[in-house]
Amino acid sequence: MSEVLAYSFMQRALLSAILIGILCSVIGVYVVLRGIAFIGAGTAHAAFAGVTLGFLMNTNPLIFAILFGLATIWITQYLSQRGDVKLDVSIGIFYTFTMALAIFFLGLMRVYNAEVYGYLFGSILSVTPHDLWVIAGLTLFVLLLIFAFYKELHFLTFDQEMAEASGIPAKRLFFLLLNLIALTIVVSLKAVGALLVFALIIIPAAAAYQFTHSMRWMMIYSVAIGITASVGGVLLSYEFDLPSGATIVLLATALFFLSVIFSPKRRKKVNLAV
Amino acid sequence: MAHPIIKFSHTTIHYNSRIALEDIILDVQEGEFLGIIGPNGSGKTTLLKAILGIIPPSQGSVQIFDCSCEKLRCHHRAKIGYLPQKELVDPTFPITVWEAVMMGRYSSIGLFHYPTKQDRWIVQEALEEVGMSELTDHPLGQLSGGQQQRVLIARALAQKPQVLLLDEPTTGIDTPTQHVILDLIRRLHREHHLTILLVTHDINMVSPMVDQLVLLKTRLYAAGPPREVLKKEILSQIYGKEVIVTDRAAGSYVIVGDHHA
Repeated sequence: MSEVLAYSFMQRALLSAILIGILCSVIGVYVVLRGIAFIGAGTAHAAFAGVTLGFLMNTNPLIFAILFGLATIWITQYLSQRGDVKLDVSIGIFYTFTMALAIFFLGLMRVYNAEVYGYLFGSILSVTPHDLWVIAGLTLFVLLLIFAFYKELHFLTFDQEMAEASGIPAKRLFFLLLNLIALTIVVSLKAVGALLVFALIIIPAAAAYQFTHSMRWMMIYSVAIGITASVGGVLLSYEFDLPSGATIVLLATALFFLSVIFSPKRRKKVNLAV
Repeated sequence: MAHPIIKFSHTTIHYNSRIALEDIILDVQEGEFLGIIGPNGSGKTTLLKAILGIIPPSQGSVQIFDCSCEKLRCHHRAKIGYLPQKELVDPTFPITVWEAVMMGRYSSIGLFHYPTKQDRWIVQEALEEVGMSELTDHPLGQLSGGQQQRVLIARALAQKPQVLLLDEPTTGIDTPTQHVILDLIRRLHREHHLTILLVTHDINMVSPMVDQLVLLKTRLYAAGPPREVLKKEILSQIYGKEVIVTDRAAGSYVIVGDHHA
């Protein structure tokens, strides 16, 4: 174990695994409970299109990833609020449109660029010190906002209309939440890749849901499962020379099925009289 | 006449591009208990949502506490307790009884602040008020329909409201529990001097307890004490010919054709 930590690339990989494990599993609780999984999947593809454009223009790919991710949220929200197009339809359109853009930009590059594919499949072992600072900064930013609006986000996740009725600016906070989901995806792109990032968002939260009837505890369990999957995945992929992003997601999926099997909710159905 | 706490002035409201309420004129006095009745789709829920400022009027105005409802500030909204129709609660959502009632405090606590000892005390008091203080750590989704309603009433009480808007609080609940819920509402009205607007299908269950009945079918057909509203010639205007009204010691008993009375 100690020899693993001696390598600086492993230190960076493990640190980013912890940060991303925490961030994805916290935001995942909202995604799972609000049933907005598709939005995240669409945003991940949009962010990847941003990455390819960044490489094509020889600039920082993360900037375009953020722009594309946020633009997807804004445009789909605008369309659904105007009532023109249902949210899942507009996300469906953006999902494929941005994937087409990514393939288009990749085609324009003419030469094979391994680094771009790192953003598609994830390469946590190649996280640079600069990447780590970006991951740490954005993680802190998103977590601080969630912490600041924790109780309001809790309320609007449970019942947005009631939250609005009782005087909480629920619509605006929901929009903020969607933007935080987009940022979370961008932060995790390098480490787990556009195709797999979404698994790390929904699986720990879905597994945690099996163990508790309280949202606060669901978040705590989700973080524990998320860190276990991401750190465990990094160590396994180093030890056995496996693709890191896929190993993290496969480990998370295994934890999910174990959670379902050993769920206290399955074993004990509490019945209460009036 | 005292100054009304809620005032509809020639209010017309469109919902999903059709008229839900038309030219409503209604004053509600402080401390009054109003029953709002009418067939399905008659605009009863829209009336409550207009007061909450969720659906703005297209003509006329709705005011509460002398403020236009669509421009209500947070501290005003906190004074309106609302119990939505029951289907809106997701039974699988991981939330305990305590957490659900604490949500009633959130708008008063304000952004960037966390619940204090006083908030926890108010939540405890609200739970005791509805007789649910034994089940604080239970998952809301595992409670019976009647218990869930009591928890949601506790949440509305935790807001320390002046006005309580109740949308079909007894629908989907067995008859003995319906009486428990209505007795609770009646007691809250009496002890806390709350202004209550209660939307219901069940004319006979609420008419003995309310000060005023409002009969709604897009337009306001009648408003007044139950004895004046529950007359065959008035009810048959909106429920059709199959209306039977019998006079009994406790008040009028009504049977209408669509079985939704």
